[in-house]
Amino acid sequence: MKKSRLGEFQELILMSVIALQEDAYGNEIQRQLESLLKERLSTGAIQTALKRMEEKGFLTSQWGEATKVRGGRRKRMYQATPYAREVLQEMRSVREQLWLMMPNLKTL
Amino acid sequence: MIRKAKSPVPPKWAENMISFFIEEYFLEEVLGDMEERYFDDLKTFSRRKAGRLYVLNAFKLLRPALLKRLKYNQTLNTLMTKNDIKIAWRQLKKGRLYSSIKIGGFAVGIAACLLIAMFIKDELSYDQHYHHKDQVLRVINKYTENGEREEWTTFPAPLAKILKSEYPEIESAGRFLSSEGFGAGSNQFRRSEQDQIYYEEGFVFIDQELFDILEIEFISGNKLSALKKPMSMVISKEKADKHFPNEDPIGKTIVLNNDAERTYEITGVVQLKKASHFQFDFFLTLEGIEFWPGEQNFWIVNNYDTYIKVSPSADIGLLERKMQSIVDRYYKTAWRAIGDLDGEASASNSGFGLQPITDIHLYSGKIDDGLKHGDIRLIWLFSTIAGFILIIAAINFINLSTAKSNNRASEVGLRKAMGSSKLDLMKQFLTESVLHGAIAFGLVLVLIVLFLPYFNELSGKQLTIPMTAWWFIISVLFTCIVISLISGFYPAIYLSSFRPIETLKGEINRKRESIGLRSFLVVFQFTVSVSLIISTIVVYKQMNFILQKEVGFDKEQVVIIEGSNTLGNSLNTFKNELQDLAAVQSVSISEYIPVDGYTREGNGFDKVDNKGTVPTVYGQIWKVDEAYLGTLGMNIIKGRNFQSELVSDSSAIIINERMANQLGFDNPIGEHISNYEGIRTIIGVVQDFHFESLKGGVEPLCLVLGESPSNMLVKVQANSTRETLKEIELTWAKVSPNQSIRYSFLDERFKMMYDDVQRTGNIFSTFAILAIFVACMGLFALSAFMIEQRSKEIGIRLVLGASINNIFRLLTTNYLKLVIISILIASPIAWYVMNQWLADFEYRTSISWDIYIVSAFAVVFISLGTISYQAIKAGAVNPVENLRDQ
Repeated sequence: MKKSRLGEFQELILMSVIALQEDAYGNEIQRQLESLLKERLSTGAIQTALKRMEEKGFLTSQWGEATKVRGGRRKRMYQATPYAREVLQEMRSVREQLWLMMPNLKTL
Repeated sequence: MIRKAKSPVPPKWAENMISFFIEEYFLEEVLGDMEERYFDDLKTFSRRKAGRLYVLNAFKLLRPALLKRLKYNQTLNTLMTKNDIKIAWRQLKKGRLYSSIKIGGFAVGIAACLLIAMFIKDELSYDQHYHHKDQVLRVINKYTENGEREEWTTFPAPLAKILKSEYPEIESAGRFLSSEGFGAGSNQFRRSEQDQIYYEEGFVFIDQELFDILEIEFISGNKLSALKKPMSMVISKEKADKHFPNEDPIGKTIVLNNDAERTYEITGVVQLKKASHFQFDFFLTLEGIEFWPGEQNFWIVNNYDTYIKVSPSADIGLLERKMQSIVDRYYKTAWRAIGDLDGEASASNSGFGLQPITDIHLYSGKIDDGLKHGDIRLIWLFSTIAGFILIIAAINFINLSTAKSNNRASEVGLRKAMGSSKLDLMKQFLTESVLHGAIAFGLVLVLIVLFLPYFNELSGKQLTIPMTAWWFIISVLFTCIVISLISGFYPAIYLSSFRPIETLKGEINRKRESIGLRSFLVVFQFTVSVSLIISTIVVYKQMNFILQKEVGFDKEQVVIIEGSNTLGNSLNTFKNELQDLAAVQSVSISEYIPVDGYTREGNGFDKVDNKGTVPTVYGQIWKVDEAYLGTLGMNIIKGRNFQSELVSDSSAIIINERMANQLGFDNPIGEHISNYEGIRTIIGVVQDFHFESLKGGVEPLCLVLGESPSNMLVKVQANSTRETLKEIELTWAKVSPNQSIRYSFLDERFKMMYDDVQRTGNIFSTFAILAIFVACMGLFALSAFMIEQRSKEIGIRLVLGASINNIFRLLTTNYLKLVIISILIASPIAWYVMNQWLADFEYRTSISWDIYIVSAFAVVFISLGTISYQAIKAGAVNPVENLRDQ
């Protein structure tokens, strides 16, 4: 947990990559997050996060198929590394512990 | 027929932009994603909107993580840059003299500019610190008579009150009174529990409201009510530290001028901003003060500087116009009430102006406010000179770089033959310039540190160098690099455009040498230098003129004793003892002294028998004793001096020529004139003497017998000044052991009035020296190169029998021509500018021909000296040396 930190946005993308399984490439991730977050995301933001996480070893990628709507260009498919899953788990458990420590939200 | 719509595509240019900026490795994926998204968007949005979204998205791609990495594929480029730096360094070392002249001149120019920039920045920072600076205004008194406008800043006491109560847009109004006659200015300061008396300056009477308006910062005391109580006093931090070290001054009591019946209580300590026109040290409250009965409601005298703070929405022009009604409603009414019809008539000439507080420091040239301030013209002058010096330095840079071109020609040719492009070569030469700039940067820092003390003295400032502030270092570095780049640009283009074949064959096209441009640059440099030299001479000539001018009194050998009023009853004892000293010729008691910084009092005077036909004459009325005229060596031209034993002389008056003239007297002796105090008989006319700066003329003035004990004038014999001073000191110590004597010399005080002229002269001479120094450095190097180029020609001429003399003439005439052209151009420019400057003075010297001749000779001599070293060297060389390799 202490080595590499995940930004909030990066964490969302990482989870999206895992959720989408075989379909995880830039636009699919963006579509999924846009529908969940209900706001428009820029390709730049998504791509930056993907490249950064790839550098940090959270993601690996390989070329996928090319389609017509992409102007015949190939997709790049992303997969989360075991390390990424581990970090996600850890963050989740930290969060859950913190949630338990917080008094009931309604009484706040 | 149905036209088939073109299928939609994302904007091509945005795609190109992406390809240009984004790392190639990411490109396919990113472009694919972008395009897919575009088609997604087309499902929900119009084609146009989808295109817009694509462009927006494309710009959002430009993030560091996705941009092209320069380091991967530009290794050749870095290699070349390294090589460029190496070559630049070798070039630098090869021509040490020329490189040092080039860089040195450049650094001098930039250092001078930076110092001037710091000066200007400081001047512009005055009165910019107020939170509501746009709402604070100073009221200006405008008086227009016969088309002549006078502007000053004092007003009747009740004005502030009226402004605040009658004009809703004025939020507050405050006043100060700095007139010596009422106890402001300088005073003897004593803590009431102590005996030691200090002389202090900077006293002012002030309203609490003015503190609020000027946002004065309180260090201790209540800033809202410090001056609300009568007899309260606020002092500055410096004075608090001086008189109350390690003590809290609040609540301490102070006695002024040994008047133990009136003690002031200190209620606050303030810290004034240095960059402000408002500079005082002791603030006495105006609360409960009335200098004479009814003074606070008296509309006929102007004593109070008045400031207002208006509401943010106020229309200042409109307010100014609305204020004019005060003239009718208050000024005229007041004159009518005392039955003075002349006064009422002249009151109609009055008007009001409002000056933003931010303008006070630089834009008060025509406003008489008794404050020391800057001058926007000086700012312009300084920036112009700074600009010129920078241009001169840049010109040297260009000139030397292009002059050296022949030496570099074959290098350029070879590089081009090896496949170097013009752009590569330009880069190489610009690298050289930047290297020069970087070295100059270090030199600039050293020069600034070295010359800052001198510059401070010159400009009368206390500038400090923010040496550790990164913005300062960065901006100096930036300036050096940018200017070296700019001045390196022309040589880079020029050098890189040589044709390889010609240069390799050794044929350099002579036409390409741009003799015209180079001559123009030399002429420019010397025009600036000559103008500055002429200006310098004119300023010093004016200074001399002033100091030597007959001023109507004898300023030599007169000692002014300051603060003699503290002697109280012993004043006359002291005077008598002084008169007993052998070396003392005469002693007069009067604080009205004809140089700046002493008491003044102005009144209106009328002829008694025909009131109304001659308008009221405004003039000075000075209280003197019978020894006054003799001590100062003033001449009575009609009538007689005062005689204290004549009782009638207490109502006698001596007027000056100017006053006699203005009152229209042919023979004034025995005539009567009156002011607000009563009628006096004229017993004498004194020859006009200057009592203000020679920038103005002699104003009407009259002398009456009266007590003004603050100063004494002691005329001493010429040969024993030092011993006499010692004796005077001893005498003082006998009479007043608790306070040390303070004195000054009349001639020095007179000189001090022209400190600004002296300063202008020093500034001009410094810049003139700087300009000619830099220009000569350029000329020196330039002539060296020219001679080097013509070395073969010189060799042949020598072999064919030319003498050193011939060679010398050959090499120098060209440059001399340029210098003479510069003199011809500079003369009218300098004449015009200096005439403008002299117009400030009522008494001025003329700009005569000898000034031009002297400066012309100086410049010709200096430039000839510069060139001749090289020219003689060239002529004296053994021609074999030059021709050996042919």
